[in-house]
Amino acid sequence: MTAVLEVRGLTRYFGGLAAVKDVDLVVPEGAIFGLIGPNGAGKTTTFSMIAGSLTPSAGRVFYRGRDVTRLKAFQRVRLGITRTHQIVRPFRSLTVIENVELAARYGRRPPRTAGEAQRRALEVLEFVGLGAQAGLSAAVLPVGQQKLLELARALATAPDLLLCDEICGGLTDAETRNVMDLLRKIRQNGTTILYIEHDMRAVMSVCDRIAVLNFGEKLAEGTPEEIRTNPAVVEAYLGRAAEVGAGA
Amino acid sequence: MTATSAPVERGLPRATATRDLVAAAVLVAILIALPLSGWQGNLRLIFTTLLWTTCSIAWNLVGGFAGQVSFGFAVFYGLGAYTAAVLITAGHVNPYVAFLGAAVVAAVASLLIGLPTFRLRGPYFAIATIGVNEAVRVVMNNLEALGAASGYRVDEIVGGKRVPFVMEHHYLTAVAIFAVALVLSILVARSRFGLALNAIRDDEDAAADVGVNAFLHKLAAHALAAALVGAAGGAYARYAAFIDPSGVFNFNNSVSILLMPVIGGLATIWGPVIGGGVYGIIQEELVARFADLHLGLYGALLILVILFEPGGVVGLARRLRTALGRRRAPGMPLPAGGVKA
Repeated sequence: MTAVLEVRGLTRYFGGLAAVKDVDLVVPEGAIFGLIGPNGAGKTTTFSMIAGSLTPSAGRVFYRGRDVTRLKAFQRVRLGITRTHQIVRPFRSLTVIENVELAARYGRRPPRTAGEAQRRALEVLEFVGLGAQAGLSAAVLPVGQQKLLELARALATAPDLLLCDEICGGLTDAETRNVMDLLRKIRQNGTTILYIEHDMRAVMSVCDRIAVLNFGEKLAEGTPEEIRTNPAVVEAYLGRAAEVGAGA
Repeated sequence: MTATSAPVERGLPRATATRDLVAAAVLVAILIALPLSGWQGNLRLIFTTLLWTTCSIAWNLVGGFAGQVSFGFAVFYGLGAYTAAVLITAGHVNPYVAFLGAAVVAAVASLLIGLPTFRLRGPYFAIATIGVNEAVRVVMNNLEALGAASGYRVDEIVGGKRVPFVMEHHYLTAVAIFAVALVLSILVARSRFGLALNAIRDDEDAAADVGVNAFLHKLAAHALAAALVGAAGGAYARYAAFIDPSGVFNFNNSVSILLMPVIGGLATIWGPVIGGGVYGIIQEELVARFADLHLGLYGALLILVILFEPGGVVGLARRLRTALGRRRAPGMPLPAGGVKA
């Protein structure tokens, strides 16, 4: 398998604090690769550097062997790297379908005509289950549907590598299962997924491989089973999650 | 699945520009017909109002659609005025070619101004444009070659004779520039470009995350707007036959250009037209009678708009229409956020 994404020595300082320190990642083609870690572990910072919205202090990002470290976010989208946002960021003055149309028209394989863009946008909306909401203002959607819109907008850019940031945060169990099914289908359609998630059950159920960040450094990497049984990970993350679970 | 097509069609106000283009054509036809039909009204008033409205439409491309509030549009008006004045007087260029030159110079200036200032966001960008406006005015005030503070006289001489003043020519020039601005505004609003400008206003970083080059889009909108304002400034210079920096580069002009679309309705097609129409007429009438009162009046109007109807005149009209529609059909359920999937 070839690597779709390779990250070497990725580092980001905020003032004197290393939010991400010397992280290496290799995401193989066709994977759903999980990136987990406690709050403040540097997951979203890592993500932003891979997506191009944040400049690394050190380190390199390679996409299909090409060094994209110096490319801006919009250029990476055109190559095939698109992210979603943990906190939803719909374009509120646009309708749901306009949000997605825009992404289609500026993404990796822009359609030639407005009509084609609209058709593709509607296809994507129906894929995520927002077909009936197409004509609504994006601002009036409930949070669960805004999360789906975030996913639809990213998909409309025809990504080769989809970066999903905590898409299940705040969703109900049923909604989470729905999103997991969507991620599996997206992978089947040939898109590699790098997936940040706080919800451990979600990550374990869907990912082939998982990397764990803690205090900005990579603590472990392996299959879900290896991660589940790794003592360092259990201490850093699962142990605490289990306590929270027991307390609830 | 059967229910999906209806809301899509209903929810796509951008899908067709035909209605707006027809309305624009009717408006322009009426404006052209006015002097031709032997109307004896105040062409000068409509002329200046059309130039103001052109600036209002242009500003809305940047400040409305793209959400980049600029206090520096007098720079483009003034540069357009001076460019046309010099081309006509010293260069003996055909005035209509000179207006094109004015548009080009203003557009180039907008790029030079936009390159540094569009790296700033929100209020920082707005403050930077105030600085640019003042800097350009001070430079022009001291530029001896162009008359400095004493201004510049526009002499249009063809074959050794001064071309006589024909109000209809000036008027039709203003109608043409206004028509171009209005049609461009309609086309931009319905285009991929316009969609991206809206997205940039809503969330610039999220726009970049779906592939939009926000910086380039802001520069392009700025250049388009500057070209329109520059042409309007050029038409004014030929009409006034005399321009000076404290007139055309006046910061008050920048504020006026911003006020019109805000009052009429930001990020709409007809808001800036209504705002410009109201402003132009009131401004010319008030300025003639009560010198500085118009600024006070506009200040008050702006406060009212911001407090009670941020959507401006167009927003108010939409609200009224919704309210009336509701009254007419009391049995209709209101559209709610959670339409079932």
